[in-house]
Amino acid sequence: MSSIDGKETGNFGQPVSEKIKSDLLTLNMGPQHPATHGVLRVEIKTDSEIVAEAIPHLGYLHRCFEKHAENLDYRGIVPFTDRMDYLGAMAMEWGYCLTVEKMLGTEIPRRAQYIRTICAELQRIASHFVYAGTYGIDLGAFSLFLYLMEEREKILRLFEEMSGARMLYNYIWLGGVWNDITDDQLKRISKFVDELQENMKTYHSLFGENKILIERLANVGVITEETAYQYGATGPVLRGSGIKWDLRKDRPYGIYDELDFDVCVGEGLKGTVGDCWDRYHVRIKEVDESIKIIRQCLDGIEEGPIMGKVPKVLKVPEGEIYMRTECPRGELGYHLVSDGGKTPYRLKVKSSCFTHVSMLPDLAPGQMVADLVATIGSIDIVLGEVDR
Amino acid sequence: MLNEIANFLSSQVSNSNAAAHEAEVGSGHVLVAPESLYACCKALKESDEFDMNVLEVVSGVDYSDRIEVNYMIASFTKGSELILKVKLPKESADAVPEVDSVVSIWKSANFLERECYDMNGVRFRNHPDPRRILTPDDWEGYPLRKDYKTQKEWHGMEIDPEHKVNSADHNFFKKVVEEMQGDEKKVAYSWKGEE
Repeated sequence: MSSIDGKETGNFGQPVSEKIKSDLLTLNMGPQHPATHGVLRVEIKTDSEIVAEAIPHLGYLHRCFEKHAENLDYRGIVPFTDRMDYLGAMAMEWGYCLTVEKMLGTEIPRRAQYIRTICAELQRIASHFVYAGTYGIDLGAFSLFLYLMEEREKILRLFEEMSGARMLYNYIWLGGVWNDITDDQLKRISKFVDELQENMKTYHSLFGENKILIERLANVGVITEETAYQYGATGPVLRGSGIKWDLRKDRPYGIYDELDFDVCVGEGLKGTVGDCWDRYHVRIKEVDESIKIIRQCLDGIEEGPIMGKVPKVLKVPEGEIYMRTECPRGELGYHLVSDGGKTPYRLKVKSSCFTHVSMLPDLAPGQMVADLVATIGSIDIVLGEVDR
Repeated sequence: MLNEIANFLSSQVSNSNAAAHEAEVGSGHVLVAPESLYACCKALKESDEFDMNVLEVVSGVDYSDRIEVNYMIASFTKGSELILKVKLPKESADAVPEVDSVVSIWKSANFLERECYDMNGVRFRNHPDPRRILTPDDWEGYPLRKDYKTQKEWHGMEIDPEHKVNSADHNFFKKVVEEMQGDEKKVAYSWKGEE
């Protein structure tokens, strides 16, 4: 269980008698560790309670998505994209469909655009709720999980009604969406967001304003602006470090350029800019912004077709494209290379979680083991997307 | 934009042979010579004009005679993005071409280049930790090569044994496709699509 790496000086640089050897203890955190949210294995070397080194080992959930994609027709890939980030499946589908539609030059009907935006933002709320709920469990605050799962359940019920599945939808198709949304469902979404906005204050006071949790999260796992750029951090992790960058605002796709919302950034309200609390706060504020977007979509949604003109036998013109979208966890990019055939020549996925995991060896040294759990939770990884 | 970058690279790095390739559909790219890749990346990162501060992804594409490595780099301060491409010739089918690592410029390249090595079989010179990342360390072959064949067994474990493959489903769909031979429109399930 332990490895012996005899060091000549103490691990903190203090003078140590040459006879006393301070050994590092190797601990395997994962693959079946509840705090790693999946099957991430982090090999950590600890000196008593302080982490000296952390090495992530990936690949336990590798399902060869990119190889499968080379053998499937363009429509058949959509259900596979769901299975990458299973907590943000709508956003994954949308990113893929946008990529192929841009190559085909398809025009998407306005109604489908609105439905897609509503779905993606509801999915963002659901995903952030899973993050905040399970993060609470990691840190020993169980009650928030129960509240947030109840709210998430309402979203999943709605998605189930619309698409027939609770988590892996295959709802956004090339050219539009699979099924139309009814007026009754729109009314229920409107009622849901009204109630949620009231409840968000309670949830935030329950978790974010809790003295114990602030002590646990403030000044822990600080990602500086320089580190965030160096490791290519995106999404809430980047914005938590105080960098105002959101693809929905800076490189708008879909109908985001017509919508009015703010980009939330970490401000270091409880400690340093870029600590775990900031990343939590950015996500909670993003839920409010998502509610704002959904309200505008519900006001603006138009009657009309939900499917654009897509040929039955789908062949993408020769060429390549790199298209990025803003997913709940960060930027999702698809690099599609087509040789003019019915299947992609190459489909490469840029996963935000993958780059976030690569940050761990830099963040971990010097932290307590319990703080490392808080750090891993705060970057909010889904191993399905990391390993693909 | 692409032409500006190509001109900038040609002026900064003497042997880069940078050429801009605009695309009619999709995104264009800038092609540089493999031996000048490190210098080009460094110039783009350090220039005040472009300030490419983020490496988003390294994507390898396998062709019969070469491997193309695409570096998607972006600037979050200027709001721009770029595909920087190198073409590495492949002498034989199982050759492993080499290119300089850019880990010392962007730290995110560490995992991304490891993935490219694991999946496409491109060796990155001066990489601090050149191991496989998604497959086991002693795996054979590079899965995203076009001529890849899965190995028969790994540590005594049979890979894809016959009795574990769901052949009933496989055969059913094979039969469906055969019955509809010659009519692709029936096979594609897009009954909602237009002609």
